Amino acid sequence: MTVTRVAEYEELNRLLQQAGRSDQQAFAELYRHTSSKLFGVCLRMLRDRGAAEEVLQEVYITVWNRAASFDAAKASAITWLTTLSRNKAIDRLRQHREELPDDPRTLEEAIDEQPSPAAQAQTSQEHRRLTDCLDALEPQQRSSVREAFFTGATYNELATRCQVPLGTMKSWIRRSLMQLRTCLDS
Amino acid sequence: MNTPADEGNHNLRYAEYVLGVLDADARAEVAHEVRTSGEAATAVALWQRRLQPLAEEITEVAPAPYVWARIHDALQLDAPPRAVPRKRLWDNLALWHWLGLGASAVAVALLLVVALPRRVAAPPPTTAAVAYMASTIKQDNGTTGWTATMDLQHARMVVVPAAPATLAQGRAPELWLIPAGQKPIAVGMISRDQPTTLTLAPALLAQLGPTAALAVSVEPPGGSPTGQPTGPVIAKGAIGAAPEAGGDKVAGTARGQTERTRA
Repeated sequence: MTVTRVAEYEELNRLLQQAGRSDQQAFAELYRHTSSKLFGVCLRMLRDRGAAEEVLQEVYITVWNRAASFDAAKASAITWLTTLSRNKAIDRLRQHREELPDDPRTLEEAIDEQPSPAAQAQTSQEHRRLTDCLDALEPQQRSSVREAFFTGATYNELATRCQVPLGTMKSWIRRSLMQLRTCLDS
Repeated sequence: MNTPADEGNHNLRYAEYVLGVLDADARAEVAHEVRTSGEAATAVALWQRRLQPLAEEITEVAPAPYVWARIHDALQLDAPPRAVPRKRLWDNLALWHWLGLGASAVAVALLLVVALPRRVAAPPPTTAAVAYMASTIKQDNGTTGWTATMDLQHARMVVVPAAPATLAQGRAPELWLIPAGQKPIAVGMISRDQPTTLTLAPALLAQLGPTAALAVSVEPPGGSPTGQPTGPVIAKGAIGAAPEAGGDKVAGTARGQTERTRA
């Protein structure tokens, strides 16, 4: 992690803690620093601007109401915020599954969404470690994991998209998760 | 048959939850566990730390400005929706009340201070006076009814009541601009108990000057139906381009006020 990134993350931790003490200025500042990232997360999963806006709104309302429970010792503010956004977006996907636009992309296309080397240079040490571990997986399994993370698709949806039986998808993902845990925790 | 996937399946449910592959029911079960069991919460947090770095790849997209406005409204926050602009003296009601009680010389001296950068000790240059004009609108009995201050740059006028006389039921004060030797031009209805901000149309703005005067007449609540005063004129005031009078003492007081309102 670069020095700038560490400073930036610490600033976010501070802002979130202040928001937890009902500091509206800090909350507004936190929004300015993080809303583009979190909107990107929502948009990527929901593929619909209106829905992403609604979820983003829900996310920040929850942030304001729950910021007091944020513990910087357990997770960084950015992890806390991203987790909250992904959870809200996935909940939304599960509620409105029938409204989702059809996803014509195949898993092969999804692989192309890996960051460019330049973008990768900007990412953290943790990210590089994770991608190294992902690279050790079978290509199909790696893309299934990435697709699952970025789109919030269920096992069923992944199996359909990938045209494999549900059981196969489940074992791909589960095996991948176990391999990742071993790789990351080593 | 015991596949590797069957082993530690329980822990894997937390991983599946974090990855986002569980259906609605299974998700709700894990979410419930996370809320009620410390062990589950720790397992989920651990998986978040493992997988969350992938989110770094997601491209940032700026949300539309109205999203923040909605959040702001939903939470009923006090602060203005955008970056809180430093409160300008012009917008400070307490100042206008205070100003309403003073003579226009005080008002003008204050505005000179406002128009200049802070901490300028030297007398203000005359150019600073051009941006503002002021008028004390006095009633027939000699008491000040209103004080008007005109911000030429922003084409607006704030009219602050001082001690306006009581009007008959169903009547309201209307403000007029009277250029020398010409007919009155309607500026707008003003209030007897709170400051009124009026926008100055370009035609009106062009007529503002030391030779023009302001007058208040008594009209129906919606204003004069004819475009000219129909009721009695109850107060009048000359318009002063901000003079350099006022002195250090007044300016000092005004600066004190400035500091307080900015604090």
